[in-house]
Formats: sequence, structure tokens, C-alpha cells
Amino acid sequence: MTNIYLLIFKRFIFLVLTQVMIFNKFDFFGIYDPYICLVFILTYPVKLSKISFMMTAFAFGLTLDLFSNSLGLNTVACLTVAFLRSYIMSFVFGGFFDPRGLKLIKNYISDSSFSQKFLYLTSVILIHHFILFSLEAFSLKYISTVIYKTLITALLSGIFCTTLIYIMIENEK
Amino acid sequence: MQQLIDFILRKKDVVVYFVLLSLSLSLIFNSNYFHKSKFIIFSNGITNYTNEVFENINWYFQLKKINSSLVEENLILKNQLEKFIEKNSIDSLENVAFQYHNAKVISNNLSSIKNNLVINKGIKHGLKNEMGVISSTGIIGIINRTSKNYSSVMSVLNTESKINAKVKRTSHFGTLEWNGLSNRELLLNDIPETADIKIGDSIITGGMSLIFPEGINIGVVSEIMKKEKFNDTVMKFHISNQVKIANIEFRENYLNIEVKLHTDMNNLNNVYVIESLNKNEFENIKK
Repeated sequence: MTNIYLLIFKRFIFLVLTQVMIFNKFDFFGIYDPYICLVFILTYPVKLSKISFMMTAFAFGLTLDLFSNSLGLNTVACLTVAFLRSYIMSFVFGGFFDPRGLKLIKNYISDSSFSQKFLYLTSVILIHHFILFSLEAFSLKYISTVIYKTLITALLSGIFCTTLIYIMIENEK
Repeated sequence: MQQLIDFILRKKDVVVYFVLLSLSLSLIFNSNYFHKSKFIIFSNGITNYTNEVFENINWYFQLKKINSSLVEENLILKNQLEKFIEKNSIDSLENVAFQYHNAKVISNNLSSIKNNLVINKGIKHGLKNEMGVISSTGIIGIINRTSKNYSSVMSVLNTESKINAKVKRTSHFGTLEWNGLSNRELLLNDIPETADIKIGDSIITGGMSLIFPEGINIGVVSEIMKKEKFNDTVMKFHISNQVKIANIEFRENYLNIEVKLHTDMNNLNNVYVIESLNKNEFENIKK
């Protein structure tokens, strides 16, 4: 059991640092930053309780905010995604999803079809980005900009997150 | 009670989520100035709207009083116009430095130390920050925040307001401030001790800042406070004077003048907002 907490702690530090030090300064086409930090929420172990998951996601978002000088924005987005993740998983994976968490994230990735993996990844990323950017704009006037930015950033985040998750799995083997 | 606890225990995920969510939203509103102002504008919009509805009902019952005050004002204005027509030398289209907009007061506050009031005109009607607001009897304040339909006016009864004023008879300039004590009295500072000011002199706006045109009535001198007078033992027993002593810092070589306002700030309905047409030009030359 201690092993899993250590793993989460390591991921926490690693993802915050890479996000803040590297990816926040990426600036594709000037303004788009991929959000690699979502890997933390995507691969959080299913067997830990939902409340502890939300608490960790809250702390994770808050740490990101402290570094990127936007207090509260990332926190709300990460927290909401953490809250919604179990619903998304039961929707996407259907009967394959077991809430007690006997299966590892590894199993979900290796044993599911491409469309399921794709749907899981995109829905988490899209929800996170949409909340983040609409809170940032905070006005209905910019709704089209928010959607446009969400889609472009989601594409970038999707590519980077998938790569990172596959690297992590390869390393574990 | 048991059911309530059961309900909370069953839905503890949702409860934890909303607790954390409200915590992070409060972080957003408290730390990001933009979000805070957006939130304030939104909530002010709602409260201003309800205030306006109530005020509209209130207005109906005051129509008689308002009518009579308007007639009175008309009379004064007509008399003034008469004087100009006799002189027959003014072209009304040229040399107009100020334009007046009318507005209604929809919420008024006097109990705070930094009083603000809200009027029912905003950016949509051409109002901007730092425009002066007067009523038919005297000055009221300066606009300090505008939204689409409403504007907030910093009242003269606000400890932060500083208004340029002068004594009509002797033309000495001073600054009008409020000490937060009485809603009929202001303090006129920065007038040298050598000035020959008497009780009953009228105070008018000075016209130095282009917020107010020169010569709008403010009030009359009601008391000139001298340091020796305060040292008088009889005065010290008077409690209200004791408060005054505590609140006034005496500066050497300056008079401390108390001004009684003409306007009754408790009872405001129609107000006029003054737009200065030459303000940009004036600001440019001042630089």
C-alpha cells in the first residue's frame, strides 16, 4: 500500500514540475500550451477512494496555480474533472469498468478498444480545458474564442498525454 | 435529523466536491481582480435593478413634492436666463463648456463613513468616471464607477472626497472635505488665517478642476473654529465639541471652517450630471 502512495507522490512532483517548467512556456503558435498535467488525473489509481482523489486533485490544481499565478482556475478545473472521472469511466468503459478498482489503469489501456481509450482521453481533456478557459474568460462574449482555444489546446494536450502515458507503461514493464 | 445525516453520508462525494469547489471559487474571486470586478458588476446589476423598481413605486407618492421643487427651479433658471437676454451678447452655441444630463437617484446611503449613491444612468447614456453630480440646491458628488446602465457616485459625505471650493465674497480657494460626523456639515481646509471670513459667507465651487463649473452653490459658513476657543474650559464640557476636537487636526496658519450644506442629502431625487466638454484639452495643457 505504501508503494502506491509513493508512486502518486512521485507523479505529483514530476508532473507539476514538467508542466510549470517546460510546458507552460511551450507557446505553440504563440498562445497554446499543452496541459500534460492531466496525466495525473487520467492515471490516478481507481482503487483509492473518490474523496481522497478529489482532495489530491484539489492540492494538485492549487500547486499548479501557485506556480502559474492564476489562483483558483486550475484548481476548479482539476477538481471538477476528478469529480466527474468515475462517471466518465463507467460511461466509456461500460461493464468493463469496476468501481472497486481491482483493475489497474494499465489493464484499461491494454484491454479496451481504441475508440474507448480515445473517448476517455478526449472527454477528460475537453471538460478540463473548457472549464479552465471559460473561467479564465469569464464572459459569454468570448464563448467562441473559448471553444476554439479549447479544441486546439485539447488536440495538443491529447498528443502529449498519450505519448507520456505510453512511455510510463513501457517503463513499468 | 437522522435522515439528513444519512443523506449527507450517502452523498458525501458530492458534498466534498461542493465544499472544495466553493473554496476554490472564493480563491478565484478574492485573488483575481478581474473576476472580482466582474462578480461585483453582476451582483450590483441585480441589486440596482430591484432598487430601481422599489424607487419607481416610491416616486409615485412623491410626485407632488418633486413637481413643486421643479417648478421652483424653473423659476430660478428663468430669472437667470432673463438677465442674459437683457445683455443680449451671448451666443448659446459657442463657448459652451459644460453639458448637463439628468438622472434619478435609485439608492442612497448615509450611514457609512465612505458613502456612495447610485444613479440610473451609465456608460450607455454617455456618463464616465470623474463627472460631477449636482442637484437643484447644490453639489452631491463625483462619479467613481460606471457600469452599462448605472453609475456609482462618491458622495461629498465620503471621507475620501476632496472638492475644490471657494468663498464667494473673498474668492479664497480651499478644499472641501468631510470628517464623517454630521450629514449636514463639511470642512473647508487650506484657507489662510489672514483671510477675512465671516459666519454666513456662501461657499461655491471653485472651478479649478473642470469637474464642476464655477459658482455652484455648496453651503454657508456655519462656524470658524479657532484653537483658543477649543481650549476654553466651558467648551470642553460639551460632548459634541469634544468629538470635534478629536477629529480635527489643527494646522498652523490655516482656518478651520465648518460649512453647512444647502442640499439635504437624505432627500435626493432628481440630479444632474455635468459633462465637461473641454476636459481633454484642459488635461493636455496641464501636463
